[in-house]
Amino acid sequence: MTAAELKDFSEAADHVVIDVRQGRSFTEGHMPGALSAPYRQQGWSIPVANWIKQQGRDLAIAIFADNAIVANAASEGLRAQGVTVAAIFDGGTAAWQAAGFPTVSVKAITVDELAKCLDDWTVIDVREPYELRSGVVPGAKAIPLGHLEREAPELPKDKRYAVICASGNRSQSAASYLAEEGFHVANVVGGMSLWIGGGHPVDR
Amino acid sequence: MIWQTLQNPELGCSSYIIGDEVTGQGLVVDPLGALGVDHYVLAAQDLGVDIRMVVETHVHADHASSARALAALLGVPHGISHAAPARFDHQDLKDQEDLTFGMLSVTVWETPGHTPDSLSFVVRDLRRSRAPWAVLTGDSLFVGDVGRPDLADADDQAIRQAAQKQHDSVHRLLTLSDGVELWPAHYGSSPCGGIFMNKSPHSTIGFERQANPFVSMDEETFVDQTLRLLKPPPEDAALLRQNNLAGIS
Repeated sequence: MTAAELKDFSEAADHVVIDVRQGRSFTEGHMPGALSAPYRQQGWSIPVANWIKQQGRDLAIAIFADNAIVANAASEGLRAQGVTVAAIFDGGTAAWQAAGFPTVSVKAITVDELAKCLDDWTVIDVREPYELRSGVVPGAKAIPLGHLEREAPELPKDKRYAVICASGNRSQSAASYLAEEGFHVANVVGGMSLWIGGGHPVDR
Repeated sequence: MIWQTLQNPELGCSSYIIGDEVTGQGLVVDPLGALGVDHYVLAAQDLGVDIRMVVETHVHADHASSARALAALLGVPHGISHAAPARFDHQDLKDQEDLTFGMLSVTVWETPGHTPDSLSFVVRDLRRSRAPWAVLTGDSLFVGDVGRPDLADADDQAIRQAAQKQHDSVHRLLTLSDGVELWPAHYGSSPCGGIFMNKSPHSTIGFERQANPFVSMDEETFVDQTLRLLKPPPEDAALLRQNNLAGIS
């Protein structure tokens, strides 16, 4: 389908766009409202199909991908689990933007950049409480990923947020969510593993 | 470092997807026609690798390559030796050139012998160390064996010269430290090596220094032995190399 058709599709009631690209690509830029579920050959189709079925209504599903091979594999995977994919868009954000449509994007920030201007950022650490024992960025606010949706409304919108986790994967989802909610956010690439590895200060 | 070996056991071929584990940027080395481009795209998606380049250690004479098709599909450069007489769009790779993927560094070494366009790739993960971690030796140095010198040019004099070059290339590879992992393009009964090629797809430079029979030979013995121990050439060797040179897959 074309980008314009995808836009109309995504705006209809009970229509969902599933972005199957890698999490990193989703963070760098995605169409507003798309859900991220990076395709994997193993362990992807069943949980994604179950989530769709659990929504309790007949959702119309479109796949957003940046190549036809991954798009078709994801579509076939869902079909095998009894979910019909209504439409496939395989042009990626390049084709979406070329059609003049906006993307939601999250800036990526390196640990060195963050360390240099730590005062400009409010750091949100989305790891689980037990993981914080290895050390946290000084002044970081701990909000485990599962609590983010509940706590986000309390966060002031005029601040800049750098989201961090152990290796940069969970923080990607968290940062994307906050970006969708209208916050100014950045994802800390490589997470605490690179922060500590780079010899930056931690509170324990 | 992200590292996956993708093999075709039937022909004893190895190909590789290697990437930087933080940025995901990476490359595919020697993709096999037998596995098909979809296989590499889906494997890279599983691994979280963003393929930025497709490279080949040489223009193969034993199997069809899918490098050109994969590079075209992904819109990324296809790197091969500047010495390869290829008739398609590609990026020339030269000795000591560094290819960078995030903090992954891949240094090109020209290791002619098996073919004039044979390359090895020295792999470093700069997140861990500046020292080489692994070397992809293509058909230059195998586990227990060395690449045959007769597939690029069947002329007797050319084969002898190629064998001499192979001797020098093998000894250049042996300047790497003992702990460096060795990952050739073939293993087992592949027709690209001789009768000593091991069924294991990998080894280390140190172990080969100790156990590879070709390593301790002087140049004359090396040339004599590589020529004496030749297996029958792969079926359709000339045609396969010609097609791979033309970019037909």
